[in-house]
Amino acid sequence: MLSLLPQLLVSGIAIGMLYALIGLSMTILYRATTVVNFGHGDLVMAGAYMVLIFTIHVSLPFIPALLLSLAALFGFGYLLHRAFIWPIIAGPHLSLAMMAIAIGYAVRGLVRLEYGSEMAKMPRPFEEQFFFAYNTVMTLDEITFCVVVVVMLIASYFVFSKTRFGRIVQAMFQTQRGAALVGINVRLYNNLIWGVGCALGALGGVMLGLILVLDPDAGVWTLLRGFAAMTLGGFGSLYGAVIGGLIIGVLEKVLGTYVSTAFIDITCYLVIIVVLLVRPRGLFGQHATLRI
Amino acid sequence: MRAIRTTFQTATVAVVLAAASGLATAEERGVTDTTIKIGNIGPFTGKAAIFNPLNYGSVAYMRYVNDLGGVYGRKFEIVLGDTACAEAKGIAAAKKMVHDEKVFMITVNPCSGVAMAAKPTFLQEGMIWSGVSANPKITGSVGSGGDGPPPEYMFHVTPNGYFSGVTMGKFIMTKPGAKKIALVAHTNDWARGYCDPAKDYIESQGGEVVLDTAMERGSTDATAQVLRIKSEGVDGVLGCLYQPELVVLLRDAHKYQLGAPVIGALGADFGQVVQQVGNPDAVNGVFFQGHLYKDKIGAPALEWAKQILLKYLTPDELPNEGDPTHFYYFGMMNGVGVVEGFRRAGRDLTRESYMAAIESMRSFDNNISAGSVTITDDQHVGISDMYFNGLDENGDEVIFTAYGQPLH
Repeated sequence: MLSLLPQLLVSGIAIGMLYALIGLSMTILYRATTVVNFGHGDLVMAGAYMVLIFTIHVSLPFIPALLLSLAALFGFGYLLHRAFIWPIIAGPHLSLAMMAIAIGYAVRGLVRLEYGSEMAKMPRPFEEQFFFAYNTVMTLDEITFCVVVVVMLIASYFVFSKTRFGRIVQAMFQTQRGAALVGINVRLYNNLIWGVGCALGALGGVMLGLILVLDPDAGVWTLLRGFAAMTLGGFGSLYGAVIGGLIIGVLEKVLGTYVSTAFIDITCYLVIIVVLLVRPRGLFGQHATLRI
Repeated sequence: MRAIRTTFQTATVAVVLAAASGLATAEERGVTDTTIKIGNIGPFTGKAAIFNPLNYGSVAYMRYVNDLGGVYGRKFEIVLGDTACAEAKGIAAAKKMVHDEKVFMITVNPCSGVAMAAKPTFLQEGMIWSGVSANPKITGSVGSGGDGPPPEYMFHVTPNGYFSGVTMGKFIMTKPGAKKIALVAHTNDWARGYCDPAKDYIESQGGEVVLDTAMERGSTDATAQVLRIKSEGVDGVLGCLYQPELVVLLRDAHKYQLGAPVIGALGADFGQVVQQVGNPDAVNGVFFQGHLYKDKIGAPALEWAKQILLKYLTPDELPNEGDPTHFYYFGMMNGVGVVEGFRRAGRDLTRESYMAAIESMRSFDNNISAGSVTITDDQHVGISDMYFNGLDENGDEVIFTAYGQPLH
């Protein structure tokens, strides 16, 4: 059984990359507004459904469909924050959490209206391929996940640490009131960052669509993995979310194989419980209070 | 042609009986001189709405019979009720059918959890129930997954999970040299309703279930399950899974070169699974699934059913794309059995006469299913046999009666 370990690590890292991408998108939202978007999973799945609509119903090739999907989710995130989150931003964080959940349910309901009675599969941009090395196998899908997440992580790091936009978002993360006092248009930047977070989440949904039959309810699953990655990595830490996602991916595989397959589904819950009890700020988190 | 002729003969009998009937004397709940009120409940919304073609298949057949004049002059008045596949909503839908709509009987009712939750209501109210939910505890008795006599007024004119599971076990044990079998199942009543009887059958035949692994709804991969199964060197895998997870299992079985056939349960559509796996090498000669029908979906033997579905369902009730899936035919199978009960019950329709009619079915050929329907007073599950779908090396669909034994 020990001979399975290299394969488990490879597969765990590959699926962990997906969790990382979703965690990363949630972290970006959190960095700007200190709001955990509990409806984020449904927006992730909406990204995959948008690609399905653009490819099947509008007959676009995959890449234009992907770009349009990301643009649509960016716009949706922007408007979502502007219309629903910003008006209650000064209220209790419980209200923000409930609003996010309600929006997620509404999106899910809309998807169900059209796709609730059938199981759809997103068209693939390339054929499935397998690569074998040292008694392990990796698919082209998994390699794609790894490349996309690494690129997104580098891009996020660059944007948040090397650009004016990133420095403004950092300032808003520390204190929105202070940022507003020095003349930053907090509302606009919050709108933008919600757009970016939703688009990034949608990219995660499209990656998921490569390996899954689409299901309007899969948002719950993605939210839990993303939240667990974010919790383990530390709220607000970009690379923490990625490392958190990778650890959860590997833990699921290792515990599922060596202990019980029942652990696959509960690993993320266990991680959330243990981290919140033992190290609430996660592996790389900063001392910021999470208010929900 | 024979199937079409038999169907029309049955229909003609219904019309003649309808013309011959006079005023009804019965004052049975949900029955008038000209109508029989039927409650058809299922997941019309929610995460299990993919199963509502089961409801529409039954609806289509009843509309067809209505078009022919009904049964003894009575036409079916179908009341749809949404359970959303959630227990609380299902109980509410069942009570509405009983107390507000005052239906004669309730049919279809996919979702074992809902059927089990509403079962006390049906029993308490003496409500006749003919559903498709798989859980053997719903209508099973000794010999069909239960542990006592069958519940009064509740029956399946289709197989239940017990017989479906047993036939999965039978199929894999007909593979030459099959001994070590693995199970991959959801941790819910539906999946255990298939896998537990299969396990019992395999062990009764000298086989061994060497692994019984869990795979939850929403799983994105089956690496742990497949690698554990592979390390055991099994002869076959039974996947008591819904469609999305069955697709994932097949994909990863191919990825890790499992090298054993995978037998799927009835919670998935064979054609859709093949299409969604998207890799012929992962399914050709490897994937098999229980097949309830006497031939392939789309074969001439089932053309009559397809024509009824296309004629009597609205575009909203049919799939957005493609032909009706197997769930529609499954639902129609239920509809044919239910209508046959009314035909046998005669003009003086009561709950008692209807149940007596249902319990009189012996080897009834519904023209759809692989097995005939036999229901007795101590056995309320009508169908115990089915075939299996598979693909040959060219990717052509083949119906098998046993492993390696094609129907044609």
